Order: sequence, then structure tokens, then C-alpha cells
Amino acid sequence: MKQNKGTIGIKEYIALVILTVGAKLSDDTPAILFENAKNAGWIAVALIGLLSVLPILFMLKVFSVHREKNLHEIILHLFGKFIGNIVSVLLLFGGVFALIVDSGISTDIISSFYFTKTPPIIVYSILMMVCAYGAKRGFEHIGTAAWLLLPYVKITLFIVLLFSFGGGTFGFIYPLWGEGMLPIIKTVAKDMSIYADFLYIGLVAPLVTSFKVLKKGTIWALAIVTFEICIAMVAFVMLFDYTTAEMLAYPFHETIRYIHIGFLSNVETFFFPFWLVATFIRFSFYLYLSATLLGGILKIKEFEYLIPLLTTIVILLGAAPESPSITLSAARKMNFQLLTPAFFVLPPLMWILAKIRGDFKNETA
Amino acid sequence: MLKEMFQVFKKRKQKPLSMQQQLVGEQTELKEQSISSDLEENFQTLKKLFHIPKNNDVKVRELYIEGLNKKACLLFISTISDVKSIEENILKPLLTNKSGKEIKEIVSIQAVTEIHLFKDAVKNLNQGNTVLLIDGCSQGFAMDCPNFQGRTIEKPNTEILIKGPKEAFIEKVDVNISLVRKKIKDENLVVESIDVGARSKSEVYILYIDDLANDKLVENIKNRLNRLDVNSIQNLSLLEEYIEERSYSLFPSILSTERPDRAATFLEDGYIVLLMDNSPDCLVLPATFWSFFHSPEDHYLRFLYGNFTRALRMAAMFITVFTSAIYIAITAYHSEMIPSELMLAIAASREKVPFPAVVEILMMEFAFELIREAGLRVPSPIGPTIGIVGALILGQAAVQANIISPIVIIVSALSGLSSFAVSDISLNFAVRLIRFVFIICAAFMGMYGMTAFFVAGVYYMVSIKSYGVPYLAPMSPSYKSSSDTMFRRLLRNEKFRPGFLKPSDLQKKQ
Repeated sequence: MKQNKGTIGIKEYIALVILTVGAKLSDDTPAILFENAKNAGWIAVALIGLLSVLPILFMLKVFSVHREKNLHEIILHLFGKFIGNIVSVLLLFGGVFALIVDSGISTDIISSFYFTKTPPIIVYSILMMVCAYGAKRGFEHIGTAAWLLLPYVKITLFIVLLFSFGGGTFGFIYPLWGEGMLPIIKTVAKDMSIYADFLYIGLVAPLVTSFKVLKKGTIWALAIVTFEICIAMVAFVMLFDYTTAEMLAYPFHETIRYIHIGFLSNVETFFFPFWLVATFIRFSFYLYLSATLLGGILKIKEFEYLIPLLTTIVILLGAAPESPSITLSAARKMNFQLLTPAFFVLPPLMWILAKIRGDFKNETA
Repeated sequence: MLKEMFQVFKKRKQKPLSMQQQLVGEQTELKEQSISSDLEENFQTLKKLFHIPKNNDVKVRELYIEGLNKKACLLFISTISDVKSIEENILKPLLTNKSGKEIKEIVSIQAVTEIHLFKDAVKNLNQGNTVLLIDGCSQGFAMDCPNFQGRTIEKPNTEILIKGPKEAFIEKVDVNISLVRKKIKDENLVVESIDVGARSKSEVYILYIDDLANDKLVENIKNRLNRLDVNSIQNLSLLEEYIEERSYSLFPSILSTERPDRAATFLEDGYIVLLMDNSPDCLVLPATFWSFFHSPEDHYLRFLYGNFTRALRMAAMFITVFTSAIYIAITAYHSEMIPSELMLAIAASREKVPFPAVVEILMMEFAFELIREAGLRVPSPIGPTIGIVGALILGQAAVQANIISPIVIIVSALSGLSSFAVSDISLNFAVRLIRFVFIICAAFMGMYGMTAFFVAGVYYMVSIKSYGVPYLAPMSPSYKSSSDTMFRRLLRNEKFRPGFLKPSDLQKKQ
């Protein structure tokens, strides 16, 4: 079962990150952003993207001197065993919590939009079982699958955006700054952690073929994802106007219900499988990351065996809340606010510690 | 109870005897003896080994060689050796010779080898060679004159092309090797042979181009063949299962082709080809998904035409796998997707049918598979009848009897017809079987079930390997290669051999 030792190249890496982070445009992330920033949500995303460059660069800098270590090992190295483990455990809680909430929300989307009669627990179980299977196959294979399926997911997304631009009103994006700068900054400060995934990606850093690939891939992926989410937010605003967009829990799914292509008036079932593909890959990756971190903390080398355990926990906790679209959304907002400081503060802190410890002295480049 | 368990455990642990030691009635000891200088004794041993005179076609010819002033004895199996050649080139020179020349200089046979053990004598005789034993001489002579019966080279039967060479492999391995050598005139093309089967010794020929094929891969395959511990393996189709990876998997890991031109192309890319007597095909390994998906005609046709065929084939594959499942998913779970007029039409046609859509589809798909299987086995004079009966009964009559709705016939005919466009038989079976799984998934969970199974399938497909080569390489994980995957490139741009084989020389052309 040593299937996870393979490394992945730049194509697979970018594809994986784009699918994982990019999938956020299709859950309730846009709704959370619209809440404060109103129709300037897309500017908020652009700002978040720009601002995220800082922690990501700090992180990459730290990784450049510890190429064979993953995030957890670096944290242990920099913070020492005790504090390092505490930091990792906190990160693990954040990550697993995000996994539970996000997968719960995806289940809610599937069972409230497409399978209203099927018990959500069955939908949830199938979702997580497929993801567990993917995660068990290993990082290399999740990346490969992501690269193979990326074109189809993105082509369909492109079609959706094209048709929603066609059906939207351009004037809705004005006033450009929404209710002013302050709400935008507030949104940025609160929800910056929509990119916290980049922090967790550090857990698989040694499994990317080279540091160059990691650096280039991360920055490219960040740029593409930011652009993608921005465009999607603009499309949602143009289609619904911000008052409605703010009310909708899952704007993307409302969009694919709203648009029609030629003689086909209901096309959501056409786009649904492609969205699902992205969702499956996203949670496979999250599961894998959580298992890696948990395995690191508990010092379990064969951490693949933790995946079934994690999957069970996720299903049990994720399926527990009543009225998930409200509870989970609130939980998600909370998690965003908790992870934001972690995402923004941890990498610079790591960099400072590395500097103090003199890790950068032996740097070749 | 513990004791019993222990015993079971112990039994398991006992090393099974090797096949060589277990062979009953094989007279292994006799075979290991060396040939003595006494002709009568040697003759008796061979008689025992070959069950003479019970064995009817083993011929013995005793003779007196005047030139050597010695008695001798000639053995051969008349049904598998060239009797005329024996007469002309062995018997006649021996009988008419009066000088004291060496045997090798008397007979006019192209290959004469000296043998010292009965084992070798037996092997040679079984291969259709003639063995000459001479009194007072502690060695025998094996002379090459095999003549096995078989058919002549014919057109390919399963891999039919419009443009391109029209020769196919036949059951004689010499002919097959000759067909390959005709295409690759290169001294580095190595034809190695390995014996498999402890009783019936069949030779498996391993073909590769020495300075191209990866040494480790060749070594790996040789090891696998050497490790086989079975009585006999008749042909490659049987051998395939012994050496393939994941025998339970739906996806094949070794490619079988009956076209020498295809085998030659693979050889030149650094793949390894296995040939064997009694097999009108060859095995190519390692195989990726793309090698099953491709057809040699894609390259023989002009660039655009070839790629058009590939696009058609890919479409056909998706239609085969998904059409029936999508029909079920849409009618049962996502009926809002169909334009209302069409939906009314479907509903109207299904009004009188008592079964759910999935039962209808399964019935039709099963019937189609039946027609297909029966049509294959049916003797050719009544072949057309099957078509008529199938089409009439299963098509029109079933609709009129309100068992099947007309649209289901269209759906299953489309998926059935498309399945024929996947030409490789292994992939064809894989695709047809997967179709049924998708139908069941669609029946349970609609599009969601289908997508879930699809993603799980993709995870499986990207994780499996054939002899260390990822199944979907070089698409992903990517290797340096000519990227001949879904579509091909211009021939002059296909500059590299597939990098996943780790060939010694990657560059094919400048």
C-alpha cells in the first residue's frame, strides 16, 4: 500500500489547487463575501488574492530552506516539539472543521437542489466514501485525476459564466466600491482565510517534484483562482444584483438553474456532474491533508489507515446539524474568522523564527 | 481447536514441491542420462522414452554407414518432420557415402548439433528434428528438419483496416518472427526464447530491440516467465493470464494484437513483444490505456482523417458507457432537463409499459449482448437468420407487445452499436461491463451515483500500473513522449519514444 510516495509535476499541482480552491466559488463563499462587501464582493476577492501573496511568499521562503520537510515538520522544527505540536493540533482542528463544514454544505447543496427525496446521510456517505477512496489512493493519484478532469470542469464553468454574462445586466456592478472602502476592508480582514488552503498545501510540499515547481505552481494557482472567483462574483452580481445575490445561499447553483441554453431551459443537471467532480476531488484532497497532519502529530507513518477513521468522524459530525444551510454557513463564517489570523500570521512568524534560528544562512540561491 | 488451527497453518507453510519433482511418469531419470557408446543400449532407452512401438508416428530407421564402417540408427517423428528432406539430405548421403568423412560433412542439412544427453535428444525429436545415433559414438547428432502443419499467412480477422498492410500473424512462430523481421531490418532486434511448461515444453519468444528497450523491463518479464511452474501453457492467450497484473481488474494490462506491423511499431518504440507457437497473435507489454484505444490505421490515414477516427472512437466509447445510464438518470431523477415536448413523447410511449426504465434498459442491453454472443458462435450458414430473428423479435415485436418502449430500443441500439467501434477486444469487454455498472448506479442515485462511480473509476484508473507504467501515461502523469494519446500529432512532430518506458534512446527523429 505504499502508493503515496510518488511526486506530482507542475500541471497536476496547479490543477489540484485550482480545483480545490476554485470550487469555493460554487458553495456559499460568495454569499459570505457579498454579505458585507455587497456588490463589491469581487473587489474584496481581488484584494484577498493580492494580500495572500504576502503570507504565501513568506511560507515559500521558509520552504525553500526545508525542502524535504512538510508543514508539520517545519512547525515542529521552528517552534520546538511542545509548542509546535500545539500549533499543529490547532491547525488540524481548523482543517478538519473546514472539511466537515464544507462537505456538509456540499451535501446540503446536493440534497436541497438535486436529490430532495434522498436522505442526506446517504448522499453524504457516498460523497465521503468516494473521497476516502481517492485519498487512500494517495496524493499523486488525486493530482493526476485532477489534471485529467480539470479541462471538463473548467470548460463547463466557462460556459456557465458566458451565459450568465449574456443574461446579466452590466450596470449592476455599479457602484464599483459598493458601500465604500470600509466594508470591503472588513470583509478582507474577516474572510481572508478562503485562501487558508494554501497554508495547508504546505503539508504536501515535499511531494511536489521540486521547489521550483512548488513556487511557480502556487503563485500561478493563486492568480488563476483569484481571477476565476472574481469573474464568478461579477457574474453573480450581474445576474441577480447584490440584494438577491446576498440572499442566495449558493449563488452558483441558482445561476445554473437560472440560465438556459438554446432550446434547453433546465440545464442544471448538465452542469451538476462537473461541479460534483470538482467537489469529489476537493474533499479527497482535504481528507488526504487532514490525514497527513493527523499522522504527523500522532507519529503514524502509514497515515493512509487514518483516512477511514477521519471519514467516519466527518460523516457523523457533518450530518449532525439540523437545517445545515444556516447552521453550517454560520459555522463556516466562524471558522473563516478563526483561520484568518492563522493564515496571515503563521507564515511570517515562521519566517521570523527561521531567520532567528539562522536557517537561511546556508541558502544557496 | 488451537491445535487444528496450527496444523492448518503448518500445512500452508509446507513448501509445495516444484512441478519438476512431482511429474509422474515423466521418466526424468532416464532423460538425465548421457548417451552411451553402445548403440543398442541407447536405442532401448529411446524406445522406452518414446513408447516405441506403441507410438505410431515415431519412426526408427536402422542403417549401416559404409564409410565409417559402423551401424547407426535414425529417429524422427514423421508427422512433424520433413520426411522428404530426411530422405534426400540425410539418408541418401549417409547410405551412399564411402569416404571416412565426419557426419557433419556427409549430411546436407543446414544445422547439425551434437547432443550428449537423452534430454536433448527428446527435446529435439519433439521439435521435429531428426536424431542420428552411431554405434561406438557417445554422442548423437540432431539435424534440423521440422515440418509442422499449419495454415498460411492470411488477412487479419479482428483488426481490420482499410489502409495499411494486410498480413496477420499465424500459428507458426517462425513465420511470425519472419513477419516482424521483415519490418524491422535491424541486427539489434533480439529474439530470445524461454521454455515454459514442465511437461509440454513450449517456447515463449521475447522480442525487443536491444539498445532501445529498458533492460530492467526485459529482466522483469524474463523473471516472470521463468517463475512459471506449470505443466503446460498452450498459447499466448493462456499465458497472458499467468503474467498479467491484477487478474480480477476490469482493465487489461497486456495488449494482444494479430498485426505484425503493429508489433513492429511497438518494438521500435521500446516495448517488448512476446510470441509463441500456436498463437496467431502477439502480446505487447507494458500496455497503457492508449495502446488499447489506438488503432494502427490512425497513423496510416492522413493526419486529419486519422484524428477524426480517434474522435469518433472516443465518442463511441462514451456513448457506450453512458447513454443507457443517462437515459435512466434523466427519466427517473432529472426529468426537468428534457424539453417538455420530448418528455411528453417519452411519457406517452412508456404509458403502456409496465416496467421501470431500468428494467427495460437492462432487458434490452442483455438481449443485445445475447444476440452478439450468439451471432459470434452461430455456424455461418445460419448467421443472417439470427440477425433477422433478433431484429424482428427484440425490436418490433417487443414494442408491440408493450414490453419495451421504442425510445429504449434507440438508446440500447446506439450504445450497442457504438461498442463495436472500440476495436480492441479487451477494452471492448471492459467498456461493455462498465456500462452495466453505470446503469445500476444511475438507477440508484441518478447523475450523482454515476458521477460518484465515475470519479472513483478515474481514481482507480490513474492509480493502476502495467509493469510499472501508469495506465494513463503519458497524459498524466506526464512523461516526455510524442503525446500520442487522445489525438495524434503530425508524424514529423512525433519525435520521442514514450518516456514512461525509460528507453535507452528517447529521441526518434530530429
